[in-house]
Amino acid sequence: VVTVDITCDLMDEDESGYVWTFLREARDPTLIEPGAIVVAGDEDAPAVAEVVEIVEKPAGPVVHLRVLPGVIEDYQALVRRAITPA
Amino acid sequence: MAGDTEYQELRPSLRNEAAPDDGIVVVRGGPSSIEKLLTHARRTHDAFVLDGNPLWGISVFCALDDIGPASLDPLLRRFASYRVVHLPYMGQLRDAGFDLLPTFKRPHFTVRLQSPDDVLPLLTALGNAEPNPYYGRRPGRR
Repeated sequence: VVTVDITCDLMDEDESGYVWTFLREARDPTLIEPGAIVVAGDEDAPAVAEVVEIVEKPAGPVVHLRVLPGVIEDYQALVRRAITPA
Repeated sequence: MAGDTEYQELRPSLRNEAAPDDGIVVVRGGPSSIEKLLTHARRTHDAFVLDGNPLWGISVFCALDDIGPASLDPLLRRFASYRVVHLPYMGQLRDAGFDLLPTFKRPHFTVRLQSPDDVLPLLTALGNAEPNPYYGRRPGRR
């Protein structure tokens, strides 16, 4: 089971060219800060993303996310390779 | 009319670009599509208005070109997190009564709904979902 840090629609792009979602959609808003690597999307289609910025919009703070290529299992495999003792 | 201090006006973010009837729309599929589409439509509604009026809408990407980032293969690769996708033609969605707004950067569009009740007809218009050939297909994974 994947725990998503911030729920979003991976197709929701705005004028910034990044995926956007409301900060209030974060499981723990303190995790959401520029430069943070997070799991975005939803439990059925999670993706690894970088928090680019948090901007004030009329409807509330909006998070811009740069979705990284591939699927979450790619990053799981990467970490497993990197931290497994030789 | 929606309040003018709580929403972002979408009109300035519309491109001057017609959506071709034979353009293929990429929409996320899956067993909980209705709930997901409703959630996405509500998020759009909470953020934007069009000409001051409430807007319900779903973000999609459209394969507008034969090659390059706005063609079908790169779009499917870009959304490799989606196990299954709907791939209707733009003309099919228009025939079903849905407007496609050319929003933000190419090839992003917003499928406009008249109300949340349009989610079910939209799902019908999307047709069957099919496997995304790029889901789980990555080099170098062991």
